[in-house]
Amino acid sequence: MSVDLEKILRPVDSPMKPYEPKYMMLASGEAVVVRQVFRDEIPDLLKHVEPLLHVERDYYDVVAARVYAELLGYYQHRFQDQYVLALQVNGELAAIVNGRQVTPKLGLSLHTLALRRGLRIGAHGFAAKMQYHIDDLGHDEVLVVAESPIGFRRWMIEYKLEKRFDVPHELGGVPSWALTRELFDRVRSKLVVGRRPVPADILEKAMEKILPPSDPPTPPADPLAATRAMYDATATALVQQRWEMEKGAQDA
Amino acid sequence: MAREIYAYKCRLCGTMHYPFRMVCKECKANDFFEFDPVPLPKSGTLLTHTTVYNLPAQYEVATLGLGVVELENGMRMLGQLNIEQPKIGMAVTGTVEVVRKETYDDFYGMVFTAA
Amino acid sequence: MRDVYVAGIGITTFTRLEFPLSEIAAYASMMALKDAGVTEVDQLYVANMGAARVNHQTALASAVADSLSLLPAGAAAIENGPASGAAAIKAGFQAVASGMDDVVLVTGVERMREVNNLEATDFVATLTHPLTEYIYGVTLPAHAAMFARLYMEKYGVTERHLAMVGVKNQNAALNNEWAHLQQEITIEGILDSPEAMTNNPFVAEPLRFFDACPVSDGGAALILVSKEKAQELGGPMIRISGVGQATDTHAVFEREEPTDLLAVRKAAKDAFDMAGLTPDDVDVAELHDAFTILEIAESEEVGFFPKGEGHIALEKGETALGGRIPINVGGGLKGRGHPVGATGVAQAWEIVTQLRGDGGKRQVDGAKVGFTCNFGGFGNNVVCLTFVRED
Repeated sequence: MSVDLEKILRPVDSPMKPYEPKYMMLASGEAVVVRQVFRDEIPDLLKHVEPLLHVERDYYDVVAARVYAELLGYYQHRFQDQYVLALQVNGELAAIVNGRQVTPKLGLSLHTLALRRGLRIGAHGFAAKMQYHIDDLGHDEVLVVAESPIGFRRWMIEYKLEKRFDVPHELGGVPSWALTRELFDRVRSKLVVGRRPVPADILEKAMEKILPPSDPPTPPADPLAATRAMYDATATALVQQRWEMEKGAQDA
Repeated sequence: MAREIYAYKCRLCGTMHYPFRMVCKECKANDFFEFDPVPLPKSGTLLTHTTVYNLPAQYEVATLGLGVVELENGMRMLGQLNIEQPKIGMAVTGTVEVVRKETYDDFYGMVFTAA
Repeated sequence: MRDVYVAGIGITTFTRLEFPLSEIAAYASMMALKDAGVTEVDQLYVANMGAARVNHQTALASAVADSLSLLPAGAAAIENGPASGAAAIKAGFQAVASGMDDVVLVTGVERMREVNNLEATDFVATLTHPLTEYIYGVTLPAHAAMFARLYMEKYGVTERHLAMVGVKNQNAALNNEWAHLQQEITIEGILDSPEAMTNNPFVAEPLRFFDACPVSDGGAALILVSKEKAQELGGPMIRISGVGQATDTHAVFEREEPTDLLAVRKAAKDAFDMAGLTPDDVDVAELHDAFTILEIAESEEVGFFPKGEGHIALEKGETALGGRIPINVGGGLKGRGHPVGATGVAQAWEIVTQLRGDGGKRQVDGAKVGFTCNFGGFGNNVVCLTFVRED
């Protein structure tokens, strides 16, 4: 065969300015580093995303499944113009954010996945990627969607995003919201933080190795409990299911 | 027609009540219907205030200004603030506007602006 | 009136719990029943605020009684806003003190995380005055913020003082395995670093994120018994020696002196008078720090410090573990979490733990007298209790 099929399947990435690492202090007094992760380190992220597929709360399952696919797509050269930023505390993975460039003037936010919670790490990650789109890549606008109420509250309300409901978002075809340069400038002083350059020792610790998250989200005690709770406030179905599972275990 | 928020005056001792009570807090007279409605004054000074960022589910705005106002007649009321930079002690005036919408219902209340 | 003793205590982890509400209540209750060594009770009171509205369940006490196989004991649910817990303890106290019952189970429970934060905020806001507060969009953080602003203006309390309470209590929770927040925070991280204002954004100015307690699920339970029963069971003799409860105006703006919390003052005084104690006798206290400002204000109103000097005592470390009067050593509402109906019972759980000497890393040495303040509404319904260890 003279045609190398891989050449056709593999998208050609547009030149994108690399993300310059920054760091900030968390409420705990620890420093979190935001840095870009390239293809070679993607497998290190994947192994920490995989367990979250089974966390049926706060839409971790949906988001983890999609992030896994996006990261794998990037790693295998099946995703065009994607970038991935990792947030690390003492080297430990604390959050992953990613997005992609649609056109040189239009960015698209993919996901924000927080592996450590309660310290606004996800919010810092989201702010960092918006800053990357607007300031570094020079996009006029970034398309955003939320898959969880937490995300909706953070992005749509805190950033006062504009509706772009005529544009179906790449994630599931749902109506898009947009962060424009003007909106970003309005919230910049309040929501976007970080210091550069990152002190050498902190950066070195982050670059050395992506360590596993120390306290990642775990599945709820009962499978499906979180999703069902909305419809089954009395939990009859939940108890029933548990009986069936126990019965099944005895039979087996 | 200008809408009003009413205080309630005890027919026996003249004590003004806001909010409405069934029994007068001063003379404790407890006959039925012993109060006359009296419109609350609309001007006063700001006693304390806040800007709320985490609003109850029905609100679609990001923040809401709230404050307690000491009215001209010495009574106090809570109202929404439509003031850029509220300061304790500033003079304010109010108008009665829709302050909350719930499905098909509108609720009216006082919204204060800088006097 | 008969003396009333706490013979057993139980608690669940305070966090987001994906179990049915009555199961959370039953779990805490079972721990308390086992702890006391009893299998039957004469009466149970279940403290809860939101079952009907948040969890779509009513008549919770009947459900709990049956699920624990306590039938045919009497059962009733008590709803008294965020002071439901201590109000239920008071009811249990009255039942035993009157001679009507010998063994009473008091359980506080709440499952607020079944709905999202916005709905939970609205649910708690329903305790405000419907026509003069609620319709304006007032929330409990808003009330606390307006109160804090006056307090800052009048007494010189600063954001730093508020942050100090938050850091003290949230970090104290690290010593309490049942507490919701298990995350250390620092003054630098929430107040001083260039990123602090973003890490710690306003909830309601001037109160910030780390000034407010988390929204939690959880349950806590006590077994209250008569003296004869307590001796028969043979556990440590912890007596509820004082009970005080007071109310204040429903609409907060109606209070003559807006920085006063008269219901706290009266409830505390009544509890101390009944117990024959003074605030100086207290070794360990649980105050209702749903917002950091409330710990400062309550520490003054209950009589630990003169009015306007709570923040100075805080600065000196008098309210920390090892200080003159350690407050909220188990994290308080700020660190332990605030499942509204459970909080009053959880405060009592912490005090009994301390008086038994079971506090572990957070134990106040030689604690013999404990005090709780359960603050309902925005100070319009307050229950204070004193506990004494009898050797």
